[in-house]
Amino acid sequence: MPETLPWDRVGPQFKKDRKRAGILIDLRRCVGCHACSVSCKTEHEVPLGGFRMRVRYLERPEADRSTIAFTPLICMHCQDAPCLNACPSNAIVRGEDGRVVVDEGKCDLEQECVTACPYGAIFINEEKQVAEKCDLCQHRTDVGLDPACVSSCPSEALQFGDFDDPEDPVTKIAAATGAKGWKEDEGTKPSVLYVDHEPWMEEKANGGVQLSDADEDIIYEQNNLKRKEQA
Amino acid sequence: MSIQSLSRRDLLKIGSGLAASGLVTIPSFAKEITTNPAPAGRLGRIDYSKAKATPTICFGCTTHCGVVGWVQDGRVRRIDGNPLDPNSKGNICSKAQGMISYTYYPERLLYPLRRVGKRGEGKWKRVTWDEALGELADKMRPLRENGTPEEFVFHYGRDKTKGYTKRFTEAFGTPHRLNRRSICSSNRRAPLMSFYGREFEWETQDFENTKYIINFGGNPMEAYQGGLYMMHRIQHARVDKGARMVTFEVRPSATASVSDDYFPIMPGTDGAVAFAMIHVILEEGLENREFWDRWANYPIEDLRKVVADYTPEWAESHSGVPAADIRRIAIDFAKAAPACCTMSNRGSAKHYNGVQADRAIRTLDVLVGNVGKPGGFCLSTLRGWAGRYGQEGLPKLSQPGPKTSSPKPWGIGEGYNETAFKKLPQEVQDRVNAFPDYWKEKYFGELATPSEYPLAWHWYQMRVGQLVYPYIREGRQKVSVYMSYTLGAAYGYPEANLVRDVLMDEELIPFHVAVDISYGEQAELADLILPEATSLERWDMHGTNNYGLIPYTGVRQPLTKPLGQCRSIQHILKDLAQRIGGGVEEYFAFDDMESFYKEWFKNLPIPWEDFKQRGIWMDETREKDYELYERSLTEAELEGTEVDSETGIITNTESGKAVGIVKDGKSIRGFDTPHRLIGVYDEIWKIGAEATGLPMDDVNASPIAIYDTVPEHKELADDRYVFTTFKWNVHTQGRSAQWKYHSEIVHTNPVFMHPDTGAKLGVAEGDSVKLTVFRPTGHTYKGGEPGAMGDFENHVRFLKGMHPRVVACSHHAGHSAQGSVARAKNQLTGPKEGIAGDKGATQDPDIPKGIWWSKEKGGIGGGVAINDALPINPCPLTGGQNWYDNVCTVEKV
Repeated sequence: MPETLPWDRVGPQFKKDRKRAGILIDLRRCVGCHACSVSCKTEHEVPLGGFRMRVRYLERPEADRSTIAFTPLICMHCQDAPCLNACPSNAIVRGEDGRVVVDEGKCDLEQECVTACPYGAIFINEEKQVAEKCDLCQHRTDVGLDPACVSSCPSEALQFGDFDDPEDPVTKIAAATGAKGWKEDEGTKPSVLYVDHEPWMEEKANGGVQLSDADEDIIYEQNNLKRKEQA
Repeated sequence: MSIQSLSRRDLLKIGSGLAASGLVTIPSFAKEITTNPAPAGRLGRIDYSKAKATPTICFGCTTHCGVVGWVQDGRVRRIDGNPLDPNSKGNICSKAQGMISYTYYPERLLYPLRRVGKRGEGKWKRVTWDEALGELADKMRPLRENGTPEEFVFHYGRDKTKGYTKRFTEAFGTPHRLNRRSICSSNRRAPLMSFYGREFEWETQDFENTKYIINFGGNPMEAYQGGLYMMHRIQHARVDKGARMVTFEVRPSATASVSDDYFPIMPGTDGAVAFAMIHVILEEGLENREFWDRWANYPIEDLRKVVADYTPEWAESHSGVPAADIRRIAIDFAKAAPACCTMSNRGSAKHYNGVQADRAIRTLDVLVGNVGKPGGFCLSTLRGWAGRYGQEGLPKLSQPGPKTSSPKPWGIGEGYNETAFKKLPQEVQDRVNAFPDYWKEKYFGELATPSEYPLAWHWYQMRVGQLVYPYIREGRQKVSVYMSYTLGAAYGYPEANLVRDVLMDEELIPFHVAVDISYGEQAELADLILPEATSLERWDMHGTNNYGLIPYTGVRQPLTKPLGQCRSIQHILKDLAQRIGGGVEEYFAFDDMESFYKEWFKNLPIPWEDFKQRGIWMDETREKDYELYERSLTEAELEGTEVDSETGIITNTESGKAVGIVKDGKSIRGFDTPHRLIGVYDEIWKIGAEATGLPMDDVNASPIAIYDTVPEHKELADDRYVFTTFKWNVHTQGRSAQWKYHSEIVHTNPVFMHPDTGAKLGVAEGDSVKLTVFRPTGHTYKGGEPGAMGDFENHVRFLKGMHPRVVACSHHAGHSAQGSVARAKNQLTGPKEGIAGDKGATQDPDIPKGIWWSKEKGGIGGGVAINDALPINPCPLTGGQNWYDNVCTVEKV
């Protein structure tokens, strides 16, 4: 076998140094397939009921458009992270490449982070007894692999890179398309940027990753269904 | 998908690992942080310094992408795409991870089980393989000895062994290797084979290079055989190269949602729109006259006559699609030619008029001359490599010998199985005796080759799966041993209650053995259950059409040992053959499975070890399959041939088979049809109608595509709706509800409708409705039978993208078996003798307590079973199930 197989090019020597690790989410490409969200659950053995990420199915509100918009929602790895600021135990820290991570050893389950996050990115893992959220698959990126979600996306709607590197494709595409963060007014300066996301999506998906009763969604039915109260 | 690619260096150990005390230091952070130890029942983070990736072929749906499975400590932890697969190019979807879910499902069947108590009572005892196969062999052996091997019926739902199970059924001597093709795609395969020959029952549009796609009800973004191969190419073409896609659909599917234009369309009227487009293209003079005259077997002036009245305005009156848009799209499509293509699948085809609709849609491509062109409607080989059309120069890949042969056909005549034939009802015998010879020669009884549906087996045996159970009940075929293989008919067939009734009847089905990985609705009704190895634990030869247009092959190989006492179907049939004896064992005399597959692939130009390491092989230097029909015949191919001076057809005198055609003095391949042209016109529909007594004015009797409204949609009353079903991207058919992460996302199947429909019915979202379904009225099973056929209750959801006359429920949900995840229950429900439950490798802290959507936990539950209410509805002649014609009423409950 002359060449190295792609899946053998794995190891700490393949790790890239980044200053501002982030994900570009290109909604022009997303087809709502859930490869990313299911990959994430598999990779991290996320218990049923908890979500590090979701793929939202939002019915377009325009009168002349009757289709569905898909948008993955994830921890935004904010440069000014409300969760990090809120945690009384200093259990949320920032890595060298800017990612925001829970230090499980320090988590005291005060849940301030859950409330503080405008993106609903954090849930409580009852099994591990900690707050849990996306960590950009640190155990994968350390060996040169992309985060599980990015690796799984079949239409390149998710791309991982360094928004601080002007030559990185994510930076270039973000610049060319005017990619923006979700809920920019919150001032969180997210390192997850979206191409083509529209303001109405933020309203319909206000509950973010964990959803809320007021959210509208086609696919996560139980959380969304407006049912009549049983007598 | 992007695995980093850098230069090769020696691997260094990372040095991290779980310390005995449990906390793990993460060294890559400026500050050191810790992660808690994995909770009980969890495995902890994948350690990529230990985990090894091995390529295999996915089995999460029927597309079968090349993947790699990461295995750590003997356990498959995650699936990634295999970038070496030229079709999927390293891409996967959510269903790939489903393989892990079903392999480690706490309710996975791990031990052979024998029924105790009454059939269907759910009482089982564990038996050894020796006992299980011993009993089965003892029941099967006499069938051969008594000269009635056809009383062994093998019926599969999903079989990707590429001929291994056929090896067994042929060695045994039964023609009854039944399938579920008609449940799915017969109606869209028949038109393709009529146009392009048996080799091309599926097309391979060149989406990478296309500029314009017209999609009639296909949904490759979520389902569709080959969907993922199509999806990633379509998205690239659209986002990066400006390609446009127009979709006609009845609901806002994912494909409709990412299309540049989406038109809700009345079900069963796709043909009308396609005809109108043909009309416009001819009117505007945008047809590719040269291509048509060269290759279509039908004069264009006759086509003009066929579509003379099929105007856009006429099509609008049927379909609801605005005439101006039909006109505009037809023109844009033709102007983009040859880099344009149509796409259609069940949406257009699974209707009474669906076969003709697809023939019209296929005509569009011929009309603008995009067939086989870059960006166009191409054809690339889909079958095993045996030197067929389009496979020239490819290494031959065939099962190791000895080669089995088909049992004798039934009928009167020397060498025919007269005994079996004479057991058939007289009416059937009379019909078959009046058949043309080419049908008589391949008639094998009513289950494999139903005489009322000759086009279900004219090109090859697509069969009519949904009639198997009614036919058994009617006594058209005696059954002694019935084997269900990965079959979910008792859940997923139309009139599933009829399936269950037949399976419960010990006179009709004296012995039922089910081979599967979970205790589903079919296995519940068995006498013997044989637990199968999953796709992560077995071998298979792999091949399918490459949307990159160069043929390739792959191998499915075991990533781990089968759990419990599971065995692959290959092992099971080999063992069974050896026990049955009487000559059957001669075809299964090999020792180990790997050497069997190594032999199968022996003609590949790379060593077996290399092939296993890559998982995929393709000749990178081979030309893409453009314009196969224009390729010159080689000297060798021309040897022993003669040319018909009138037609130009070049025939091999020895085999009698046509091999090419002379055009402009050149001997070229042409199309793989008897006339070497494109079969726009085909007498076979007329012949089939004559042979079966189908009235000649039925839409299905026409040798040229024509339009007629679905019979029960004519004058559809105001209070009637069309009920349709669909698939979600996170599920596949009826076997994925047990996948925990997927069912977490979709676990119900509400009735989707337009908000206006809701207003008309006086229902709000979340209200319950009762859907009452009526029988179809055309020439089909119980056609015209009055009264309700069935009903079910479910709750309502609104989507403004729904066609206002359509109500829709998804497939996949409403299970009464397949364990706690599928049934949304917080107790394990599988037979405790057959599963491991909460022990060993299949223990899972999520199952069953973590199923939060169960009704016990105040959740919405696992959906409603709907198939009992869906009528058996085979399309005349081809037998494809007309799933999408159902007429229903909807009442608030």
